[in-house]
Amino acid sequence: MAKLRVLYETGEPERVIEFDPAQAPFQHDGQSGSILDVLLGHGVHLEHACGGNCACTTCHVIVKSGMAHLCENSETEDDLLDKAPGLTPTSRLGCQAIIDGGEVVVLIPRYTINQQV
Amino acid sequence: MSDLTTHAETETASAVPSRPRAAYEATIERIFAHTPDTRSFFLRLPDGPCLSFKPGQFISLLLPVAGETLIRPYSIASSPEEGNLLEICLNLVPGGPGSHYLFARGLGEVLRFTGPWGTFVLDQPPEAACVFIADGAGIAPIRPMIRCALASEQRSPLHLLYNAPREGDLLYRQEWEAYARDYRRFTFEPLLSDPLSGWSGLCGPLMEYVERRYVNQDSDRSRHFYICGVGQQVTQLRDLLRRAGYQRRAVQYEKW
Repeated sequence: MAKLRVLYETGEPERVIEFDPAQAPFQHDGQSGSILDVLLGHGVHLEHACGGNCACTTCHVIVKSGMAHLCENSETEDDLLDKAPGLTPTSRLGCQAIIDGGEVVVLIPRYTINQQV
Repeated sequence: MSDLTTHAETETASAVPSRPRAAYEATIERIFAHTPDTRSFFLRLPDGPCLSFKPGQFISLLLPVAGETLIRPYSIASSPEEGNLLEICLNLVPGGPGSHYLFARGLGEVLRFTGPWGTFVLDQPPEAACVFIADGAGIAPIRPMIRCALASEQRSPLHLLYNAPREGDLLYRQEWEAYARDYRRFTFEPLLSDPLSGWSGLCGPLMEYVERRYVNQDSDRSRHFYICGVGQQVTQLRDLLRRAGYQRRAVQYEKW
């Protein structure tokens, strides 16, 4: 079993999801077993304007711990993260970061640049 | 249905990503069939403030299919100056529930969407020469980019390399040819991958042509590229150009 703990910069109550990575996908958007997949499959909303196709940054999350349990970033993910507001060294796109087990803690940032023009 | 002030409010520091964003509603005002499996849908928003977007951005349609809401992103093929009439252009994808739903829609029907979204944009053209590489319906976001670049005060060259299977698949072809006539700094180069006999223009694999033209034939690495298409070819083009010495941020792309 794996555990995903979600904190919100907006101050909303945290959510904790325990799941079996071998049961992925949990729904149809984003990479199978990704943070987005786990959240949506367990009824927790995470913005994903491009449908989880790695074409925006609306599923930007900041990993607070458990980075070693996530797959490596692709160049496409890094290119998009470059344009994410509030980028940190542990930023990931929820649709791309696949959890292989253990416990991962992520913070959902407050803002997104995608709708700003 | 939210009105357009909803969008204005989300531009401020009040955006909260942990809840779904409010959606807009638009009416299908016109449908244009470019080919049997490629259509443009013209979506009319209610009167009021225009939806503000940057050339290259997309909207995400919320499609009620099989008891759930599918999120399907579609690039905006029209320009911000066209006001509250948005054009999206898409292919009918075999087995794709989103495109099949849309191709079954008729005039007057209402679609819900969120947006605009996306960071593949060109609203302030660089001083350097720009090369736009479009594959098929990947021309959609590039169309408003080129219009914006042509309208800007920059005088750097603009080149469109447009890859499609056959001549009939070159979307907005008359528009590109008109720009090439009217603007000395704009050039249009169609490249066909499966031409009919009689085609005397460029043909062959896009990757090979780009490598020959922009990697092997000269050492100029100051160009900026804007690439859009479907599938791995887009990231392969990105890798080819970056490895050849073009600046990372000078190679912008969107892969659908």
